[in-house]
Parts: sequence; structure tokens; C-alpha cells
Amino acid sequence: MRGIKFSFLCKEKPPQTGKRVAIVGAGPAGLTAAGYLVCKGHDVDIYDKMPEPGGLMLFVIPEFRIPVERVRLGAKELEEEFEVTYYPKTKVMEGEREDEGDEFYERAVRLSELRENYDAVLIATGIWNVRRIGIPGDDLEGILSPLELLFWIKGAELGYVPKEKVPDLKGKRVGIIGAGLTAVDAAFECNRLGAEVEIFYRRTIREAPAGAYEINILRNRGVKWFELVTPKRVIGENGRVKAIELLRTRLGEPDETGRRRPIPIEGSEFQVELDYLVFAIGMVSTPPVNGSYIATDKRGRIVVDSRHMTSVEGIFAAGDVVNGPTKVGRAIKDGLYAAVSIDRWLRGES
Amino acid sequence: MERKYLYLDYLTCIGCETCETVCDFIHDGSPHIRIYVTENKQYLPINCKHCDDAPCVRVCPTNAIYRDEDGAVRIAENRCIGCLACLQVCPYGVPFYSLKVRAITKCDMCADRREEGLEPACALMCPAEAIQYGPLEMVLELVNERRAKNIPEHQRELSDEELRESVSSGYVLL
Repeated sequence: MRGIKFSFLCKEKPPQTGKRVAIVGAGPAGLTAAGYLVCKGHDVDIYDKMPEPGGLMLFVIPEFRIPVERVRLGAKELEEEFEVTYYPKTKVMEGEREDEGDEFYERAVRLSELRENYDAVLIATGIWNVRRIGIPGDDLEGILSPLELLFWIKGAELGYVPKEKVPDLKGKRVGIIGAGLTAVDAAFECNRLGAEVEIFYRRTIREAPAGAYEINILRNRGVKWFELVTPKRVIGENGRVKAIELLRTRLGEPDETGRRRPIPIEGSEFQVELDYLVFAIGMVSTPPVNGSYIATDKRGRIVVDSRHMTSVEGIFAAGDVVNGPTKVGRAIKDGLYAAVSIDRWLRGES
Repeated sequence: MERKYLYLDYLTCIGCETCETVCDFIHDGSPHIRIYVTENKQYLPINCKHCDDAPCVRVCPTNAIYRDEDGAVRIAENRCIGCLACLQVCPYGVPFYSLKVRAITKCDMCADRREEGLEPACALMCPAEAIQYGPLEMVLELVNERRAKNIPEHQRELSDEELRESVSSGYVLL
């Protein structure tokens, strides 16, 4: 197997410009930007709080979709042939905030320090927090975030997470709320580990973000699909999930997303018994700031201009931390175009 | 020179759009591999299959479409008269008329990059390793290796003969 060739634009390291760029986040956007910048002769250092580069591609997306070795070899090639320096287990932050995966970092660096020490900085920290639903009982034991679950499973397989941390799902009933790609991946992994999986979605399979193709594969594997239901509350026993109470829904007029809005039907409550419940209803951007150092919008995404530059001159941003959850290809595109802007800016062209 | 193949393995493709992204990037906003979304939201990249007996090569009245020494079906833009005959006969709808170059354009397996000793960008960057480029035996070996390691058991398997057939003919088995 060969690695992802992040430096696909050049054959070998070109003459050096002497400019130094720090990239925060070693996911698809960060690594692709690094590949472009090293091909332009810039010196690149990559900071990431995880123990090795790859981001969600390595630590969350199941192995059958993206092979671990392909990501690892790609990152290694940047290091060995283009002299990219990785600073793993290093959390870059301006202000304080606790995020998923924080247990891995051993060093903290301020974003403003990087701005002072490098000619340019690119933020590509992605989406490492999970959206909370806010219904009664959503803090009971047995409620898992999809990120935790997928991360524990993959992390254990990679040897970073103790095996005991991964719940024993064999024969257990797992409910998953949501029908995006994360929900589908969580369902695949739970099914693979021997759980009885049921997916609950408030619209129909036609509106499901993951699409009927993926969902039907799951159904063929024995995963149950409940559509037109929305969670009302989680029922617990001795502090632990016992069941979920759902309301049936009907579809109304299209909302701002263009999909028909689900409307709960009062009095249609019913309960489904569960051992674990996963709320896979979206992930949230995790910019390396908590405060006013750079501008973010209401949803926590970094605001950038047409050059991918943030509100601080010389700090750029790309990928899911700017766009919210998207596909790997979109993150790669953003990383490429941000790197083009950085190169131009370093050369004084814009 | 040994013929090269650019093979897209739909059983391992995850529809992440990386191929279209990098192709778009190196072709100034006109990707030669495009993602099509089916009604059930399957994301399928469609590129030129560089067919063995390519109908576009046969039908082109000016011989503007030809096969190069690596096996890529290419277009000599200066000979293209824009008759669109190639577009009519292509089973994948791959060739498109470019207003920029005023000729038909299509995937040429990154001809400019190959001249510099680089491989097609889509194959290098595909995170799922679903796009393979190289001589037939190498492509077959890599596709088999990738599938053996990572294809979940719910997806049907192709026999060696079916795989060889699908790679060398340029046609796709779904």
C-alpha cells in the first residue's frame, strides 16, 4: 500500500524560501496544505494534540473506509522527504476549553505565540466536539457521543486507548439518534462488535443525510431503521439508560435546509428499551480559541475572508473548523486553496 | 512502453469527493473526474475509462482522439473541430466541450504531470485508495490487496477473472 501523496504537486523538495509556516491540526486540510506549502519551498511545522497525525481520518473514520496505513504513510512521507516537523500531543489554544481527546495532549502552546514565531499560521483543527440535544435524561450513564465511541473503538485498535475503555457491546441493544455519516459509521461499528442496533431518525430515508444507499447496507446487516420519530426523553434506572421515549413525527413544509420539517405528533409517545444510546446529531467546530483573539460565528466556526485569512493578519483557517462538518474532499479542497493564499501572502502578492 | 491503467474501484470508493477536488485544482476549475449523486445518495465519481476499443477514438472524424504510449486516450486540441461525436458515443458521457480551449476536453491521465514524472493526482490523493494507476498486474494486485484488507463482508466479491475484465476493459461492475 502507498500513502496519500499530500505533496502531489511536486516530485521532490524544491529550493527553500526561508519562510516558516505553522499548521495547527494534522487532519486532511492541514496535511494537504502542508503538502502544497512544502512544494512551494516553505518550511512547515504541524501541531496536533493527538499522538500521531491523521485527524478524524485516522482516529474516527472506520478502517474499512480509509485504511490507517494509507494515512500513516502519507504523513510519514511529508516528514521524511519534505522535512515537515510534527509536534504531536501539543494542544494549541488561546484561552481555556476542554475538548474531546484532551487526554492525549502533554504540552500547550498559545496561538499568539505561534503567530509571533512563524511567518504564517494555518488553523485546521476540525470538529472535535459533539452537539448536545438537551432532553431530559441525556446525561445518564450509557449515553455515548459518536465521537467518543468511534474514537475509543479505533483508538483501541491503534493501541492508544485501553481495551477496557471500549464498552462490551456484544448482545447489547444500542440506539442511535441521527442519520448522517457519523450515525452510519457508529451503527456499522456497533453492529460489527455484535450489538443489536436501531437507528432513530425524525425524517424519512429520502431526507437522511447519509442516504438510502448506506442505510440499506446497514439494514441488510440487521440494523433496524425507525423513521419519523424524535426523542422526547431518556428513561433511566439506577442512573443508567433503560429506554428511550420517542414521539412519532409527520413532515411539514420545507425548512431552511430545503428538507421537509419534522413535526412531532402529540400523544404518539412510545418507548424502546436500550442498553446504550448514541446521539449522532452533528459535530461542532473546535477552533483553538475561546475568547476574542480571532473572530468566530454563533456556531463556533472561524470566520475567514476570501483569502482564508482570519480576523488576525497572518493567521489563516481551513477545513471543518471553518465550514462545519463536511466530507474529507471538501476539507482537502479548503486546505489546498488556503495554502495557495498563504503562499501568495508570504510572497507579498496579496 | 507498458500500458498504464487508471482504475476506479467502486467497491472501495467512499464518495469523499477528494478526486474531483484535486482534479478541479490542477485543471483550473474544470475537473475531468466528476462526482454524480444517485437518487439514493450514492456518490459515484465518473472518469474516462480509457476503454480498450474506445468508441470516441473510432468515431472522431479528424483523428483528434488518440491513445498515447502510456495507454491514455487523449485529445489533440488543434485537430478537434468540436463536432461532439465523441460525446455522443461515450457510454459514460465523459468528454465535454471546453469554452476555454475551444475543443473537447477529457481526462488524459494527467498528461502534463506524466511528462514531469508525476502520476495522476486523483490516484495519489484518494484517501480510500480506490483509484489505482499503473500497469495492469500492479493495479490488480493493489485492488485485491485493498479489498482483502478492508472491504466489509456485506459487499459482494468479484472473481479474479471478473476483476481483470473490469480493469482491462475500462467497464465497471457495480
